[in-house]
Amino acid sequence: MKNFYRKVAFGLGPKDKVPSDPLEWATSQLNDVPEFSWKGRILPEKELRNYYRDYVYGDRKVLRKKFKNDKDGYKREKNKLRHLTGQKFWWNLELCIRHSEALKSETPVLAKLWYFWGNHFAISEKDFLAQYTTGAYQREIIRANMNQTFEKMVQEATVAWTMIHHLDNNDNVGPKSQEAQWAKEKGRKVGVNENHARELLELHTVSPECGYTQEDVIQMAYVMSGWRPNWGKRRLETGDVHFNSEYHQPGTKKILGKKYKSGRKSLSAVITDLVNHPSCREFIAMKLCRYFITDNPTKEMMEPIIRAWEKSDGFLPDVHKAAVEVAFNYSNKHNKFQNPENWLLIMSKMSDVELVPTPKLMDLYTLGLKPTHEQRSLEYLLRELGHHPYLAKQPNGWSDLSEDWMSPELLIRRLVYAKEAYYKKNRKSQTNEFYEEMVEKNYDNPNEILKTINQQGDLSNRHVMLFNLPETLKS
Amino acid sequence: MKISRRNFLKGSATTLFLAGFNFPVLANTTKKKNLVIIMLRGGMDGLCAVPIIGDKNFEKRRKDLILDETIKLNSDFALHPKLKNFYNLWQNNLGAIVHATNIPYTKRSHFDGQNLMETGGHIPYAIKTGWLGRGMKLGELKGDGLALSLPMPLLLRGIPSNDNFYPSKKRLPRTELLQLLKSVYADKSEHDLANMMEIIANRSMMSSGGTSMSRKNSSLAYKAGLELKKINGPRVAVFEVDGFDTHAAQGGVNGSHSDSLIEMDSIFKSLEKGLGNEIENTLVLTLTEFGRTIEQNGGRGTEHGYGSAIFMAGGLLKKSQVYTDWPGLKRKELFEGRDLNSTIDARSVYASAMSTVFDTDFKRVQKEVFWGDKLQDLSDKLFKI
Repeated sequence: MKNFYRKVAFGLGPKDKVPSDPLEWATSQLNDVPEFSWKGRILPEKELRNYYRDYVYGDRKVLRKKFKNDKDGYKREKNKLRHLTGQKFWWNLELCIRHSEALKSETPVLAKLWYFWGNHFAISEKDFLAQYTTGAYQREIIRANMNQTFEKMVQEATVAWTMIHHLDNNDNVGPKSQEAQWAKEKGRKVGVNENHARELLELHTVSPECGYTQEDVIQMAYVMSGWRPNWGKRRLETGDVHFNSEYHQPGTKKILGKKYKSGRKSLSAVITDLVNHPSCREFIAMKLCRYFITDNPTKEMMEPIIRAWEKSDGFLPDVHKAAVEVAFNYSNKHNKFQNPENWLLIMSKMSDVELVPTPKLMDLYTLGLKPTHEQRSLEYLLRELGHHPYLAKQPNGWSDLSEDWMSPELLIRRLVYAKEAYYKKNRKSQTNEFYEEMVEKNYDNPNEILKTINQQGDLSNRHVMLFNLPETLKS
Repeated sequence: MKISRRNFLKGSATTLFLAGFNFPVLANTTKKKNLVIIMLRGGMDGLCAVPIIGDKNFEKRRKDLILDETIKLNSDFALHPKLKNFYNLWQNNLGAIVHATNIPYTKRSHFDGQNLMETGGHIPYAIKTGWLGRGMKLGELKGDGLALSLPMPLLLRGIPSNDNFYPSKKRLPRTELLQLLKSVYADKSEHDLANMMEIIANRSMMSSGGTSMSRKNSSLAYKAGLELKKINGPRVAVFEVDGFDTHAAQGGVNGSHSDSLIEMDSIFKSLEKGLGNEIENTLVLTLTEFGRTIEQNGGRGTEHGYGSAIFMAGGLLKKSQVYTDWPGLKRKELFEGRDLNSTIDARSVYASAMSTVFDTDFKRVQKEVFWGDKLQDLSDKLFKI
């Protein structure tokens, strides 16, 4: 049962009391979305997007022209521009905010679910989204809606600037729209870009299980045509997302057999129907079970989550509680392989490693400078572990399946960074007693575990062993 | 420009017709053959790497990007002057090029394009395995893949137990600890973990002193060459080279596109060094998502295009040649009026390569790896069969 603390959160730290009612401990964290526990500065998405704008404009419109015959000069000035717009800093700050929720907040269960949703509505590696706005998108669009309905989260994520840009909806133009007419007269070719439409169906809501066709995808793209950033000479593609009817495909659309009138309101109407489709709740229930419990969820596991969804109209706190309860009920039967980021946070929490730089250190940063090694430590570490949450390779996010995390190098990273982490601990916690207490608190078979790790004489090696035992890799 | 499209087409029609009757002879099982794929990310400019000689259209539209002192390969094509190692291979019949080729992807997104170059499919993100992984599965090459990167590339997905090498900057724990973990995994029936730990423990025993190795492609390639050379070593290796997306200051001989080409060239050299004589039984191919526009842009760079080129190296090549069905560079011959066209589906080259190296019937590769898509068997044109 004690693996439950690692399954739905990050284990118990040295200062955490052992909850008398573990399930109540977990579910009581899910009612609200509290303030961030990070005490340093937190920038709004819009401000970060302005830095993105300054970078894109400066590079594309200024430097590329100015240094067209000077490769080295171009590289040099572009580097300056990177620092002037905080390109290497902001995402480190975002990771501090993110990880503090796991390690320092009163609601680590909410944090673990936040990471789930951030990955469900993933922004994968594209342009410089990760460096500027992905973290803020995950705060303002994803986490902020965790006490709302799933529908609200989808509605907002779908028209979020970062998502629209990520999935190319700026390039999605109705072939019979006004814009398409104009383009044709000028000899340019424009048309639908199905990317965002397909992902809305496949990844975000109903999944292919619902049996939509390629024609449904095209019709969905027609519905989405016109949702694009407000373009400007100086802000380029970084303006706020709005509905531009000149790009919208006129006429009625038909998706999964239902007709929708053309215009601004059609996207929201389609989303309402998608989130209420049975395939949508089954898909989300399956993914929640896969995240918490096992690579191969069963119908029985998914059932209570689907019921909670139906009863509450997809009210996320209720859905989350149902998922956590299922995870609790199956905690003795299944152990779930922890992805590298969650594993790192489990290790940091349980063994009291100061992973996150202090707000004071982060707030020392000044634009124009290269951030220090310490200020960049989280980004570096996550990349080394092969799992930077803002750099998923594809829009389907990072995998939940253990086989995707099985490579010799990825496991080597867990060995060597467990060792590194040990040396970041304060001296007082580098004792046998500390480890005995921690193992007692967090594992159901403490004697067996201690016996295994104590085969290593050196405490740092015991630490490496502990965090690479099957019981920790899979929780 | 003396060649016309028609000349190139001569001969290929008959072999296409015969392809179905051309059953390959069963493998000589004593010989281990290797396949290496180098992924060139960002859109490799085939016209910069292998420019056409004496084409007025080309010279006019790219006047600031034309290279000086290119290396003449034949009467029609030249080679980028910095590709010295490749040229060495070429001179020894160990280097060849397929030109005006691409995967069947005509839009211009890196992400969709890179996804498709790895899956070999038509719809971005629809397929979750790579064409190479599926080909290895067909060839029953479980545990024979080696990726020179931290995550397993999508290209290799589809067959389990691949190895990867991308050295950590930190020292591995002692072998004794690794052995202990391996026995714990085995006791708990964690077979995947136990298999991985076995690879790791063996690796730790081999590395002397644990000095951290360079992650440069040239060092990785030397290491990979040594592994591929071993009779029980991997048979497939995958590299990645970034930085081909040169929208600005692409430049000439010393431009930014050259930097990435030089990195690719260094892989050829180090692989050859590591492989020694086994280069004779190896085939190296490059893979990219698309080529680049013919016309230079305002920043003396190029935009995303369509047709590109494939570099090939190794002793399994038939001969040094630029194999192409050249589409021409007049405006009406260009794809959408702006890009070098693709007249050979790049997947025909990869399917033929897998058929040759994995000793598998081309038709089976075509059917089971590429869903029966219309592909040409180019094995007898390009490779020793």
